[in-house]
Amino acid sequence: MAQILRTAGYSAVGLTIPTGLLPERINSIRQIFQDQGIDTALRIDLGSPSRTELLRSLRRFRNAYDVVAVKCANARVATVASRDRRVDVVFFDPLIRNVRFSHPLARLLHGALEINLIASILSSTDSGILSRLRKTIAVAQEHNVKVVLSSGARTAEMVRTPLQLSAIASTLGLEGAVSAVAVSLLPASIITENAKKRKPEYVEEGVRIIVSSRR
Amino acid sequence: MTRRYLLVKVLYSQELTDQQFHDALNSSVHTHFGDIGFSRIDPKIIKFNQSTSTSIVSCERSAVKELASALALITDSGGTTIAVLVLAVSGTIKGLRKRKVG
Repeated sequence: MAQILRTAGYSAVGLTIPTGLLPERINSIRQIFQDQGIDTALRIDLGSPSRTELLRSLRRFRNAYDVVAVKCANARVATVASRDRRVDVVFFDPLIRNVRFSHPLARLLHGALEINLIASILSSTDSGILSRLRKTIAVAQEHNVKVVLSSGARTAEMVRTPLQLSAIASTLGLEGAVSAVAVSLLPASIITENAKKRKPEYVEEGVRIIVSSRR
Repeated sequence: MTRRYLLVKVLYSQELTDQQFHDALNSSVHTHFGDIGFSRIDPKIIKFNQSTSTSIVSCERSAVKELASALALITDSGGTTIAVLVLAVSGTIKGLRKRKVG
């Protein structure tokens, strides 16, 4: 898979790591990608079924991962995840039809909306998936929500090039320039910002400790 | 009419013939864009190299994104699981031949 990602032109990928995996195992997985010249960012997908559990997971895992994503399993979780500053991206499972990205959520959203294009399209058996994605993109555009495009690939057959992801999003109504940013600059900026926040000198938004070298 | 040329890499689980790739491409364009879309995109396979599993596909200049989307949405052909990656886009075939394929 790492080789295919390299061929597809990726220089960095987000690795979804299950909680409780040993650090040695994580390092060996990262090494496989680094051997192909691909940087990795550790990511966790929180699929908490309730608000309380989501908040507990955020307290526990926020500082351990480069990217925190929340899978919105129901409307309550979607509302909390959209409001919380610790959440980097929220995404919706196309198979769960009773919760979708709506106007109220778009107004609340602090992070970015992730659209797993290939995983969504391939996992769904009904033809309405493209129309649902189009509506999601339209709502995001209307509220100037940051959109992150991802393939959501779990196997090598699901990998597509950034150009293709951008092309699909453009075809579904996302503006050309926005779709290019959504596949490259925006995910990179999320990782950079989080790396800054995880440094010991970071205190809070706009405040960091400056240690003077002169006495 | 001006055309654009796409260098694509085809990943497949079993042996894939150029006819199967041709059918998969046409079927995907038809399914996602319909007959009118097909005429607007006007996809053509210029070359299919089985040894490197790469191909050069051309389309109308204004329809590059549609063709790239249709290629991304190809998942199988005649029972064979396939995935198509668009590696490069160029205005000339010569430009594509200069690109290295990993």
